[in-house]
Amino acid sequence: MRRSLRAPVLVLLASALVSACGGGGSSGPPPTPISPAEASRFLTQATFGPVPEDVADLQQRGYAGWIEHQIALPASRQLPYLGALPQPVTQVDRLDAFFQNALERPDQLRQRVAFALSEIFVVSDQGALFDQPLGLADYYDLLSASAFGNFRELMERVTLSPVMGVYLSMLANQKADPDRNIRPDENYARELLQLFTIGLVELRTDGSVRLDNDGVPLPTFDQAVIEGFAQVNTGWTFGGSPSFEEPSFDFLRPMEPFEEFHDTQPKRLLGGVTLPAGSTARQDLEAGLDLIFAHPNVGPFIGRQLIQRLVTSNPTPAYLARVAGVFNNNGGGVRGDLAAVVRAILLDPDARAAPTGDTAGKLKEPLLRLTALFRAYDATAPNGRYLIEFAAPLLGQAPQQSPSVFNFFRPGYAPPGEIASRGLVSPEMQITTEFTAATFANVLGSYAVSQNNYADDLAPDVVRIDLSTDEPFADPPARLVTRIADRLTGGVVSPVLRAEAEAVAAQYPAKQGPFRIIEVLNLFLTSPEYAVQR
Amino acid sequence: MQRREFIRQAAASTLLLAGGPFAGNARAELTGYRSLVCVFLLGGNDSFNLLVPRSAAEYAVYAQARQNLAIPRASLLPISPLTTDGASYGLHPAATGLRDLFATGEAAFVANLGSLIQPTSRQEAIEQSVPLPPQLFSHNDQQDQWQTIRGRRDLTTGWAGRTADLLEDALTDQLMPMNASLLGNLPWHAAASALPYSMGPTGAVEYLLLALGVPNAARRRQAFEALLAASQSSVYGRAFSAVNQRSLLYGDRVISAIAGAPPIATPFPTDDLGGQLQIVARLIASRDVLNMRRQVFIVAIGGFDTHDDQNELQPGLFAKVSNTLAAFSAAMNELGVASDVTAFTMSDFGRTLTSNGDGTDHGWGSHQVVVGGAVRGGDIYGTMPSLEIDGPDDIGGGRIVPRSSVDQYAATLLRWFGLTEGQIDLAAPGISAFTLRDLGFLA
Repeated sequence: MRRSLRAPVLVLLASALVSACGGGGSSGPPPTPISPAEASRFLTQATFGPVPEDVADLQQRGYAGWIEHQIALPASRQLPYLGALPQPVTQVDRLDAFFQNALERPDQLRQRVAFALSEIFVVSDQGALFDQPLGLADYYDLLSASAFGNFRELMERVTLSPVMGVYLSMLANQKADPDRNIRPDENYARELLQLFTIGLVELRTDGSVRLDNDGVPLPTFDQAVIEGFAQVNTGWTFGGSPSFEEPSFDFLRPMEPFEEFHDTQPKRLLGGVTLPAGSTARQDLEAGLDLIFAHPNVGPFIGRQLIQRLVTSNPTPAYLARVAGVFNNNGGGVRGDLAAVVRAILLDPDARAAPTGDTAGKLKEPLLRLTALFRAYDATAPNGRYLIEFAAPLLGQAPQQSPSVFNFFRPGYAPPGEIASRGLVSPEMQITTEFTAATFANVLGSYAVSQNNYADDLAPDVVRIDLSTDEPFADPPARLVTRIADRLTGGVVSPVLRAEAEAVAAQYPAKQGPFRIIEVLNLFLTSPEYAVQR
Repeated sequence: MQRREFIRQAAASTLLLAGGPFAGNARAELTGYRSLVCVFLLGGNDSFNLLVPRSAAEYAVYAQARQNLAIPRASLLPISPLTTDGASYGLHPAATGLRDLFATGEAAFVANLGSLIQPTSRQEAIEQSVPLPPQLFSHNDQQDQWQTIRGRRDLTTGWAGRTADLLEDALTDQLMPMNASLLGNLPWHAAASALPYSMGPTGAVEYLLLALGVPNAARRRQAFEALLAASQSSVYGRAFSAVNQRSLLYGDRVISAIAGAPPIATPFPTDDLGGQLQIVARLIASRDVLNMRRQVFIVAIGGFDTHDDQNELQPGLFAKVSNTLAAFSAAMNELGVASDVTAFTMSDFGRTLTSNGDGTDHGWGSHQVVVGGAVRGGDIYGTMPSLEIDGPDDIGGGRIVPRSSVDQYAATLLRWFGLTEGQIDLAAPGISAFTLRDLGFLA
């Protein structure tokens, strides 16, 4: 329905054609063609899962050309899709809008970066925003619209979003009333600094922590700074409100200030800077955001997390320094150019060279393991929707459904054992427990075994995958294993996985191709090879 | 680091500190059954509205500090602590279950606890003239401090994890890990060797396609286990395989043990916390089937980060905690293990006495609740703070400096659990900075 799936052999042919045509007019040797495995690895980092069309497109454009093409594509938005559905819509509808864009739309890189940003600038429907699917969708659209813009602009859009305003209680935050022991709300002030921009400790460009003379990490701020930013963040409520105390509850436009509720006292902020008394809410907000944006931590703090979401859990200091350097200056003197940062992350030698060592890559997020399956096997429902109930409990995560502003996992999580003792991290392991491992294996297995084209009793809203395109490859078993590896792991298959997969296929005679496909696919989906990206 | 190496090094450092022979590696006498059950109140519980002064002078100070967030005096549920500090106290009107447990001697409060590195006065905290735990007032850092009590040490383990390491050799016959979590991977459980087992809020789950009776399940399982046993070229692949192997091994045991456990008649609240503690109760009921002699559980309830709408949210939060602890206590009595099971709360931090209009912000010291037959109940342990703004315990904005440390709280619980004094020094290494090694709330 969405796309016709071509066989890898055609991809190989296309690749050969591209290299035969040469890479342009230069007199040097033609560029090395991108192999299907290399293309699959890149698309695992940059999209919601490799498909043959994107492999061919990437091979034709090259890495840099593909990125530029993606950056130029218009942003696919969630809000118009939701607006066209019968109202009121639910959070399950909102997730459908996410899946429509992640699975079907061409602006894959933008959507993938927006998903990464949604795990940094966290808002969640778990709590006060449960009844605001449209607001959350609009916030997600804000992230996708800002994904290749400037970080300073992203900071301001997030700060003035009423969705964030409600989530971290900057909305309706007002100046102190000392007689009633009331002081400004510190919630957004703290998380803006701690989670969204600079973090808790001072960093060098390569991400290493700066220490004092006693070997203690230097803190980026103290409680007084939080209180200063809490003062800055006063006086804002829903846009279009008749007055501060008569909110419009309009979740779809930026917050607006009411000066009489803004704290006009001087405000002590970062680095000993004090904002003068008497400024307006917007003047204080702009000055405060400028001050944060200028902090040297932003590049390494945000750069590390974007690398972790896209490429590897444990970037080398040199890799992070290169990316943070681009954040600090895109080459044209601009700080905070996110398009340049994304280019730097994906084109870096550490991301593109063949993986070496045992710390390259990362555990894939469960949601991305699901979308990769859906894209590779053309998941659809007859009603055209992706209505997935209980997504967060089943997957262990879901967009904008984290239990708190700390996301489903922390960037510094280190599971006990080898990873912790070697000083490494694996954020995704925080949501990989004995319980979630089995639960998620059951989800993936249910698609392999029962939510597929062979089931004839599924309701029209059940998403199912299409295994029929593997039937021509079902014999002999070795051919089937190669076929499924091409679709799911970029053709990479360990000797043990190959042997076991061939053996489970060979249980069935050749004429029972679908049974072979189901068993091999299920084994692949639960394998360490599929769970890890290198 | 290997576990034995960890223990040896830790024991050596204790010997140095103690300046002489110390029973750091002495084997504990692990007789009978004992279980610790942590109820984590995620977000930072405003316990100053749970346990409230009732006597006129102290209530006036409280009301002056809390203003529109104060609980009306007349609505407080009176309690009668066994010992008195001169003031009288009451509980939030929603905490009827807790009031009853306190009255029957099954519950106690531990006053004004928080993460500390050494005893710290208000002045020392304000001037930062003594070492303080890093990143006070930050949710994840202070949850981490409660769970690891690492202070400023470079420790990657939690106090439940270290306890499991210390007892591992004595508990080799247990069929599931000593530590069990119902809320995922936590710093509390991080161990050098004795890893925890994570269940979901509804208990263990099996791999449905590998389950008994499913066609082709045995063949599938054989293939899956072969993949998991294969060497992996990445640390992430190894970690993923190990978790799946543990899930296969323990899932079957736990599911069948729970299925075969004696039924529990005591009704539990049908909410998330009630469901979690009911699973814990069922696992405790199946302790003999699984050869369990020492168990540590953790469950959690969120929603305590009351920056907004505190007056509207607190009754529901306190009722939930209070009613569920009462049900759990009744279930333990029904199973005849009330004296073998101690439940206790932890939370990120306390909250500011001052308000931000309709809620509170991140504070420091807070009160905790302990429940069980071994608890010297009906009393308040530690020292109740002054609730005066800019008073003797306020470091600013109504953030209260703790007078007892998490190290002391943990040490008290672990001594009851069966650790020797030497083992407590290893599990709670910060305890040496505090004179009082036992807060006295457990018999």
